[in-house]
Amino acid sequence: MSAESDMEYSDNDGDDYDYYGGQDDCDMETVDRSKADPEYFVFSCLKVEEVEKLLNESIELLSNSLHITPSLAKVILHAYEWNAQEIINKYKENSNEVLMYSHVKPRVPSVQVYSSIKVCAICATSPPIHKYSALACGHYFCNECWTTHFEVQIMQGVSNNIQCMAQECEVLAPEDFVLSHVTNPTLRERYQQFMFKDHVKSHPELRFCPGPNCQWIYHAVAREGARRVECLGCELLTCFTCGAPHHAPTDCATIRKWLTKCADDSETANYISAHTKDCPKCQICIEKNGGCNHMQCGACRYDFCWVCLGDWKSHGSEYYECSRYKEDPNLINDNQHAQAREALKKYLHYYERWENHARSLKLEEQTLACLKTRINRKVMAGEGTWIDWQYLWDSARLLKRCRYTLQYTYPFAYYMEVGPRKELFEYQQAQLEAEIENLSWKVERAETTHRGDLENQMDIAEKRRTTLLKDFLEFNTTNASSSKV
Amino acid sequence: MANIAAKRIKREFKEVMKSEEVADGTLKLELVNNSWTELKGQIAGPSETPYEGGKFILEIKVPETYPFNPPKIRFLTRIWHPNVSSVTGAICLDILKDQWAAALTLRTVLLSIQALLSAAEPNDPQDAVVAKQYRENIELFHLTAQHWTNVYAGGPNVILDFVQKVQMLTDMGVDENQARVALSTFDWELERATEQLFS
Ligand SMILES: [Zn+2]
Ligand SMILES: [Zn+2]
Ligand SMILES: [Zn+2]
Ligand SMILES: [Zn+2]
Ligand SMILES: [Zn+2]
Ligand SMILES: [Zn+2]
Repeated sequence: MSAESDMEYSDNDGDDYDYYGGQDDCDMETVDRSKADPEYFVFSCLKVEEVEKLLNESIELLSNSLHITPSLAKVILHAYEWNAQEIINKYKENSNEVLMYSHVKPRVPSVQVYSSIKVCAICATSPPIHKYSALACGHYFCNECWTTHFEVQIMQGVSNNIQCMAQECEVLAPEDFVLSHVTNPTLRERYQQFMFKDHVKSHPELRFCPGPNCQWIYHAVAREGARRVECLGCELLTCFTCGAPHHAPTDCATIRKWLTKCADDSETANYISAHTKDCPKCQICIEKNGGCNHMQCGACRYDFCWVCLGDWKSHGSEYYECSRYKEDPNLINDNQHAQAREALKKYLHYYERWENHARSLKLEEQTLACLKTRINRKVMAGEGTWIDWQYLWDSARLLKRCRYTLQYTYPFAYYMEVGPRKELFEYQQAQLEAEIENLSWKVERAETTHRGDLENQMDIAEKRRTTLLKDFLEFNTTNASSSKV
Repeated sequence: MANIAAKRIKREFKEVMKSEEVADGTLKLELVNNSWTELKGQIAGPSETPYEGGKFILEIKVPETYPFNPPKIRFLTRIWHPNVSSVTGAICLDILKDQWAAALTLRTVLLSIQALLSAAEPNDPQDAVVAKQYRENIELFHLTAQHWTNVYAGGPNVILDFVQKVQMLTDMGVDENQARVALSTFDWELERATEQLFS
């Protein structure tokens, strides 16, 4: 219940700064934090093995309660986004519906009779009858064809969503069936890796750290809005809700629009004609081999628009809402030209500031690294202990955190409607900006600045930051209770 | 080429050649090379559609992994249709993408493409411009499609007004195909098409 207006910046042990700096132990019990920090969000950072254990618990629970194989349990859990309790309840009501919804069972059963099979419809050979197999739908094909089918799918990154080979049959092949046909050890391993990735991606309480080559996985109870998580491995700040870099006070939809716009405007031509893109849902790389803009990811079967990477479902008859289509320069008349120039000016205004803070943030990371060396040197030279110089370290970390938030106020302002609320926001933003520059100046000269003076400035900057977040973070303003832990 | 792919294509080629559609002239299929990796198909425009009387050539490329992956098919004949790119001939059809199944055959695929000409899916457009015209001005869409069928696919219906407008632009030095695309895009309004071509 932290979202009330007056906030007391507690100058406790400085541990608060950790979220924007180095190591943190992600402890879950510090209720004080949620008071001091409007962005406070409970999460944990897990290793692959820990997540495997967590998933296995759900799989075991389901397979024991429904008396089904773990392989089938995986198919069903995947279909129901890992909500085991919901599945168990629905299964009690109507087990058939659960099995059909998960594509374990077909809605229309096959009429083929096993004993009458003479030829494999795929390869047109006639192996002995015991060399055929079928999924629950009863579409029999020869084992060699199943093997090739699975190999081709695995090579293309598909794992959980491999369908039966029959026409218009949506029944999915469970793990044990796939593995009983695939003997190549490399492919078996790839299959299981893809499967794990898919499971994490389909699980609402899990998210991969998007850091390059980072293996950590966040675990949290999903909530609306920009929710900050920090990686134990690479220290990246990420929004748990949408997976973009953490972006408070901007909300998820807005930051997405903004980042797309930035990418688009800087290299529009390249962007649209590029032949590969990452699936917006699972990030697997997809090659566009035809001209069709309606794409479907082979791995997660997400339907999306090639042009704007938006959900295809939201296009449908509103295809013309696709933003880039509207901005087609060929379709703009003179009057719109003027408007476009105006719009570009506005965009550049915010973009330059956004870029500038991003650059400053990088520089401050360097400052932080230098500072560490400098403090170490002092300690080695007998000029006090680390504890004595901790405040310097804290000040640089706090600066980084403030700068980070400031950077993300620009997309927010860009999309804000003109009015008193925007005026208030830009007033607070300007104040934050001013205090950050003051702090930055003092941090650079930290050793000659009076400690009290520096700490006072830290206090002011952080207060401005938290006030802005409290007033404008969507879940603080629209639904104060949601920040209750 | 993989063993199964060649075997399957040969079998499907025979199936098509023996089909009633080949007998009555609505489908044609021929080999482009001896390795069975590329074929050329032809479908007749269905009756009671703007494509009636036209013959449409399709490029069919058979991947190494056929039939576990779909064949790659596009129109070589230019066509004005919401689900086909008026520029590249790329086709938006579910069975050529996610709804492909190894059990499908060339004949079913060709027939599905032909069926697409009879029943467009404007909500799953390949060509946004065509789909827009289809939704907003179906009559003009019909005439435009008929005109394209006449010019590119040998269809019988000459739309004189359109022919004249294209001629006016080519007289100004515009490439004929470009002129036709611009006019079709701007609902045959000469002024807007000209503006776009010369801007
Ligand atoms: Zn077979
Ligand atoms: Zn089946
Ligand atoms: Zn990480
Ligand atoms: Zn977000
Ligand atoms: Zn995907
Ligand atoms: Zn779009």
